[in-house]
Parts: sequence; C-alpha cells; structure tokens
Amino acid sequence: MTIRSDEAAAMLADVETVVARVKQSRIYRSAALCIILWGVVDLVRDILIAVGPRWFGPRWFLIDLIGVAGTLALLRNGASPASRFPFRILAAFALFYAFGWIWSDLLGQLGPREEMAFWPTLFLFGYALAGLWFGAAFSVIGLVLTALILAGYFWSGEAFVLWQAFVTGFGFMLCGLWMRRA
Amino acid sequence: MDEPDDVIHQPVRLRVMAALTALGSDEEGLDFARLKSLTGATDGNLGAHLDHLARAGYVEVTKAFVAKRPRTTMKASAKGRAAFARHVAFLRSIIART
Repeated sequence: MTIRSDEAAAMLADVETVVARVKQSRIYRSAALCIILWGVVDLVRDILIAVGPRWFGPRWFLIDLIGVAGTLALLRNGASPASRFPFRILAAFALFYAFGWIWSDLLGQLGPREEMAFWPTLFLFGYALAGLWFGAAFSVIGLVLTALILAGYFWSGEAFVLWQAFVTGFGFMLCGLWMRRA
Repeated sequence: MDEPDDVIHQPVRLRVMAALTALGSDEEGLDFARLKSLTGATDGNLGAHLDHLARAGYVEVTKAFVAKRPRTTMKASAKGRAAFARHVAFLRSIIART
C-alpha cells in the first residue's frame, strides 16, 4: 500500500480534528453538570430572596457556598483518582467573590437591584472569557444570559428578582443540558 | 515502521481510534451515539467498522444496562493504542520524508 504525502497529511489533520472534538466534548460534559447545579442554586436562591428579602437578601452568599461546595465535589468526582483536589477552581471562586465584594460593597456600594444584576453578570463575564479557550458554548452562555439580565434590570420593574430566578435558574439548566449533548 | 496498519488505515476506523485513544485508559469509553457523531458514520457503517476493530483486538466493547436501557461503550485496548500510535508515527514519517 502506497500513501502519498498529501494523503498522510489529510489523515493526520482528520485525526487532530477528532481529538480536538473529543477533548472539547469532555470539557463540555464535565462543565455541564456544574452549570446545571448552578441553575438549581440560582433558582432556589432568587426565589428565597423574592419570598423573604429581609432574611435571604443579605445572606445569599450562604446559598452560593452550597453551589461552590457542589461544584468542587462534582469536579473531584469526575477527575481521575490520581488528580488532586481542584484548587484552581476554588481559587477562581475566591478571586471572583473577592473582586465582586470590593466593587459591590467596599467601593461601589451598589443598591439591591444593582447587586442582583452585578453578581451574575460578573460570573457570566468569566464564562464569556472562558469560551475563548474552552469552547464557544461558554461565551454564548455568558453573553446571552448577560443580555437577558440587563434586559430584566431595565424593563422588568418589580418582577426583577423573579426574572433573575427564571433567567439564571432555567437559563443555566437549559445551557447545561445543551452542553451535555454538544 | 514502513507499512501502514491495514486495520486502522480505513478513514472511519482511523477516526474511531483517534476518538477512543484521545481518552485516557482509566477514563470511561465512548458510547455508540457519541462515536457516531464524532466520526460522521452511519449506524450500520460504524457497527461494521467497530466489529472489525474489535476482532483485531484494538477495541473493547462493553454492553451494560444504565437506567434499564442498554448501553454499549467502546474503549481502545492497550494493543489498539499501540497500533494507533505506530500508524500515526508511520503517517508522520511519510510527511517527514518529503
């Protein structure tokens, strides 16, 4: 059997395309469960804030901690036995929350409505950036949900908390299911 | 190595082996639907090529029930991984010679 150089190059290009798709699919699948988890966390948190704004409003962070712990557990379970605890993810969460606290409370002193828009869009900005390295689906999620949150901020009036619950809750869940199939 | 691997050389089988060897040996394999989407093959075509690879000992096929549904999972065997690596090295050597 004789194989020409251009045929060999085409076969290797084919191999690289398939390998890249498998790697991206693996990233999407491990991220999908975390995204679905955050959909549930956001939905529950925002509904609780809508029901009991005085108690849950200032304590939303406690519900987010459940999401952080769940994310770490999911990533740890999906990793190979030899791999270590996902310290980078934990550090990323810590950096996002620290940055958000500096600008929402320490320097910015945002109102409740602005805070409700600021926090998810901060994390969605991270999604939009992650998409540049890990696959366009992350950028699509980041940009589409940010646009919906801004639309709710300007036009949903008193229903903004429920709008947030719907957009981030069901939005993340649907995006996670979409990524699982990608 | 001066000869291509006749089993892997066929385009669909090359894509199947590329997909399966992209996963670590300790990772879960790929199911039929996922492999079909990655290789762009039809059901019958992919099934025939998987049989060919399995007969050569390059692919391990596991059939199980998940949530009461049958699920077929494919993994590259150690023999298959070695053969694929040799075939890719052969293709690279052709390019390097020109």
